[in-house]
Amino acid sequence: MKKQGIFAVGFLLLALVALSLMPVMAQDDEAQDFTFTGWSLNEGATRDVIMLAVDEFATANDVSISDVAYPYNEYLNQVILQARGGNLTGLVQMDVAWMAPLASLGVLEDLSPYIEEGVYAEASLASCQVDGVQYGIPWTTASIGMVANQELLEAAGITEIPTTIAEFEVALEALRAYDTDIIPYAAMTDVAQLKDIIPWIWTFGGTVINEDGEVVLNDEGTIAAVEWYADLLERGLIAADIDRFDARQLFAQGRVGFYEDAIVARALAAGSKPEDLELTVVPVPRPVLDEGDDPQALFWGHCLAVVAGDEAQTAAEFALYLTADETPTTRYFEQLSLPPTNLAFLESEAFQGDEYVAGWTSLITATARPNPFWPYAEAARMEAILGEQVQAAMIGRSSAQDAMDEAAEDIDDLLN
Amino acid sequence: MTAQAATSHQDTGMVGGRTNWMHRVIYGAGLILVVVFAFFPIYWMLVTSITTEDQVFAFPPKLFPADITLEWYRDFFNNPNLIRYLQNSFIVSTATAIGSLIVSAYAGYSFSKFRYTGRRALMFLILSAQMFPQALLLITLYLMFDSLGILNSYLVLVLSFTTFTLPLCIWMLKSYFDTMPDELIEAARVDGASQFTIIHRILLPIARPAMISTGLFAFIRGWNDFIYALTLAGPQRMTLPPGLVLTYTGEFQTSWPNLMASSLIVSLPVIIVFVFMQRYIVAGLGAGAVKG
Repeated sequence: MKKQGIFAVGFLLLALVALSLMPVMAQDDEAQDFTFTGWSLNEGATRDVIMLAVDEFATANDVSISDVAYPYNEYLNQVILQARGGNLTGLVQMDVAWMAPLASLGVLEDLSPYIEEGVYAEASLASCQVDGVQYGIPWTTASIGMVANQELLEAAGITEIPTTIAEFEVALEALRAYDTDIIPYAAMTDVAQLKDIIPWIWTFGGTVINEDGEVVLNDEGTIAAVEWYADLLERGLIAADIDRFDARQLFAQGRVGFYEDAIVARALAAGSKPEDLELTVVPVPRPVLDEGDDPQALFWGHCLAVVAGDEAQTAAEFALYLTADETPTTRYFEQLSLPPTNLAFLESEAFQGDEYVAGWTSLITATARPNPFWPYAEAARMEAILGEQVQAAMIGRSSAQDAMDEAAEDIDDLLN
Repeated sequence: MTAQAATSHQDTGMVGGRTNWMHRVIYGAGLILVVVFAFFPIYWMLVTSITTEDQVFAFPPKLFPADITLEWYRDFFNNPNLIRYLQNSFIVSTATAIGSLIVSAYAGYSFSKFRYTGRRALMFLILSAQMFPQALLLITLYLMFDSLGILNSYLVLVLSFTTFTLPLCIWMLKSYFDTMPDELIEAARVDGASQFTIIHRILLPIARPAMISTGLFAFIRGWNDFIYALTLAGPQRMTLPPGLVLTYTGEFQTSWPNLMASSLIVSLPVIIVFVFMQRYIVAGLGAGAVKG
């Protein structure tokens, strides 16, 4: 009798433990409500496209997805502050340049278990990794590349897109001779945007940061690039104090021959140009120093990161839906012209049929490289140092060698 | 007066008149330049707010647009989010003004009319708070408010705005109370008035101009703040400055006509209050400037 009593009590206790575990076990499989933080969630047409996908996923999975938006220029600061305070949860839209600072806080989930092989382009996956860990799922991957105004080039007598620096300079001189009011090349010369010189540094054989993590900003190739940039300014082939917003507006008015932008350049020009202006935007691989060299470009793109927590699985599934499922991917591309990252769509007729996007991807993004400063949490400060010293060389306050020596030293001090 | 002296006097008068006229012309031209410098940006805001999007960056720029549109103003009132931001701004700014007035009135009276150990040190401590860049304190305050669990609320905004308006509000009211004769207070005491009566029925009514200008200063501070409102308020309690940036500036483009129209609409309440309250503002700001 006593033994039966002990057995009954033991069984009851076991049953109670099992019952208390059931909600936890069920929770592991059930979809969780989560928050989606992003800057695109409040931008006109982009919001409509994204929220359609949000609603579809939420309905299909019976979850609630709250959206939180911050302005792009303040986004990284806000996200880092929220992460530090433990208030950042769910899915987070990130620029590829911002992955390292957020990853350094230790709040992100490693998404490699969620990603099947062969779904995404390797370069796209790499753009969302930090120290080899897959902290983001690539949403769109492209590059900052050069575009040209085809009508203006033809009017200036330029019949072929220049492929070498020598040809490029001839084209710029031709544009200047055609109309002195035109800026032949609206290169970024505003301090905040002078990081655009990095692909030119690569073009001239410079390294910026070598494989051992050493700052080599003062090598021969870098000096040559900075001197060349300063020479263009002196010859009136580029203009002072131009940032990307200025260049976009001037290009849309037909007053710029070449400038550099993300793949959205075509859409931006179409939206801003006067109605009566014919403007065909052509992607141009960056001219190379010698025939046969690879054209250089900086990667550009967006990743979807997931904050570790209870909702991580559902948030990751939504990220996979946004980036790999045919419906949202097709819609995102067709309405926003942002290239997808999944291989199936990249090889599809819909993508390959768009000459501009397909051309950009094959001519520019194919040889693009990540900004060498991105792996560092101090990336913004490093870019600022580079920009300040390049500007010093361009306005003649310092020689290119002295300026780059100082930049190398300051960045080295920052890292050590 | 001899003829020679009269002629000389006449010549001097003519020279003096010419010199006066030249001074007036130069003075007038200088004033016009200053006015143009000060008001041209506002004029350009107005022009941009009634220009069609494709003409905003037209070259050469036009001082007056060829095609005028009011669609950007309509857009503001058709956007429920912006109306919500406007409501939030009114609530937060009004609460900041009232809170700042209440605290600074009593603190100003205390510093002005009472003498106690540590009074000077406390006054300078409060004033030294003005020296801190507000952005420097943002992270600390964010973490503090987060631990108190009051983020994403009106209270967090009112508390943070009041923190930064109090030093100047206290000093403004203290300066005004300094101009009030002590004999007034003594007379009231002799008549049997309590401290409560002295403050609320004698001093505060007299200090109305200073109270209005102080309240307006605190209101404007709450109305214009960007970084604290963006960081602490959350989407539901967001005020106009971060709300406008969120709505009209993007990764690739800024909708300048929308932004200009919205900025003008948002400025109107403050401009209207200034126009109607300017005599109080001038009196309040000038208080204590002249003794006796």
